[in-house]
Amino acid sequence: MAPGIALVFGVSFYPGFVGFTESLYKTEYLRRVRFVGFTNYAAFFTDPRAWTNVRNSLTYAAGSLAIVIPLGLAVAALLDQRFRFRGILRAILILPWVVSQTITAMLWSWLLNPQFGPLPYALSVFVRGPLDVLGNSATAMLVLILMNVWESYPYVAILALAALQAIPPEVLEAADVDGATPWQRYAWIKLPLIAHALLIATITLSLLYLNMVTLIFVSTGGGPLGTTEVLSLRVFQEAFSFWNIGTASASAMIIFALNLLFSICYIRVIRGDRDRVALARGKAA
Amino acid sequence: MKHVGFGVCAILLGAFALAPILWALSTSLKPYDEAVAFPPAWIPKHVSLKNFADVLFRSGMPRYCLNTGFVALGTIALTLVAAAHAGYAAARHDFYGKQALLFIILATTMIPGIAILVPLYLVSVKVHLHNTFTALILVFAAWQTPAVVWMLKGFFETVPPELEEAALLDGCTPLRAFYRITLPLAQPGMAAAAILVFMFVWSDFLLPFTLVTGDQKRLVSVGLYNFITAYGIEWPRLCAALILALLPVLLLFLCVQRRFIAGLMAGAGKA
Repeated sequence: MAPGIALVFGVSFYPGFVGFTESLYKTEYLRRVRFVGFTNYAAFFTDPRAWTNVRNSLTYAAGSLAIVIPLGLAVAALLDQRFRFRGILRAILILPWVVSQTITAMLWSWLLNPQFGPLPYALSVFVRGPLDVLGNSATAMLVLILMNVWESYPYVAILALAALQAIPPEVLEAADVDGATPWQRYAWIKLPLIAHALLIATITLSLLYLNMVTLIFVSTGGGPLGTTEVLSLRVFQEAFSFWNIGTASASAMIIFALNLLFSICYIRVIRGDRDRVALARGKAA
Repeated sequence: MKHVGFGVCAILLGAFALAPILWALSTSLKPYDEAVAFPPAWIPKHVSLKNFADVLFRSGMPRYCLNTGFVALGTIALTLVAAAHAGYAAARHDFYGKQALLFIILATTMIPGIAILVPLYLVSVKVHLHNTFTALILVFAAWQTPAVVWMLKGFFETVPPELEEAALLDGCTPLRAFYRITLPLAQPGMAAAAILVFMFVWSDFLLPFTLVTGDQKRLVSVGLYNFITAYGIEWPRLCAALILALLPVLLLFLCVQRRFIAGLMAGAGKA
């Protein structure tokens, strides 16, 4: 077991420590200029732009989740039916998950290209003039969320589908005997039984969304006018575009703390959930 | 009526999933003037492979793909070696602090890449591993090991311990019994893990962007990104490059869909 532990600790814990010490210095490129204590953190909390970044992050994560969960559920419900070509449709609908963030950003940028893209062309029936949805500060965030949804809804669909197919048929037959309509059957029996899978998906995805950089960096780069500049992207650019290592380290520590907070809450929720399930099972037995 | 609604839903969703990929495929097959023609057309009038030839023979893409393949293989090897031993120890042996250790290992997957990127960069410069494949392999493997440990632990638990006990009676050392008996039986798990690791390495952008500089050691995601900045954007060529970069993961996905989905449910994240 030792090599695995050494690897994980060496690459995950030690840099965490280095990052923390670095965040306490004023830096010029890679050089530490002088020890400044928590000044970098104070600067972060008094910077209005940082708060905008945080708000953008939350909008991005919450907006994506609000679409991705219902869409994933719908896809799972569709794939749970029996019909011809189900295997092919499943492969097609899950496909976007294997497309990387870099490629997703580029594929959509080209699809939405204001001059040559088919989507703006189709929409030009309704809207006059060149339609630059990614370059417009009113629509950029929405479009970014849609791109994000495109590449992550299959994850929700897979988890939900697996949970749906694990429901014992007797339960559904009992509901049929009691005269439940298909909708009632879905809302009152299936949905509660797959709630745990949805919870897991929500947790995993919200952490993914809050820390996302690549998709945004490649498609909008935080623009236009900073409307899509989320906190994680800011950290990345602060470090590797402007080389403010001290500031970036401090912001990275804040992201790290946020993640920790989220993770702890989530672990509590999952544990509580599991205990409740165990309790219910114990009672049934 | 119900069937019609059902079919419409299926077609709309399928179109949503495929449109971006098909549009890039269409563009990649068009000659330049047709690709930038207005109004845009989905079906190319003249099919030309010139864009693909340009990417394959007159760009850095083949090198980037080879680089990525090399790093992916190194990462897979290191991850599997580290994770198989750890997963086996966790599945078979009880030792003091096991649960805590397993939990801490899993907890490292909650450390987001972006929060640790800057320090990783600083450390890699400090230990003179900056701009080497070694650095990439080490970090990728460390990021993937926790999930794979948990995955393989599950697989090892399904192998009956009686098999190993029989081997021990026949005079095998415990380690030998593990290599000869248990490991071969856990092959499906190792394969699933290898696929997930490959997909991760092939897709990741941030790490190769920060730890590696220069054209010689560039990986495929960064190579694609440089298409944008280097030449102004020449979309038909970029589309051909995108399709080529997608090809390995798409083929892999289609071949091993079931295993891929199983691995996904065992708790692996996305790049």
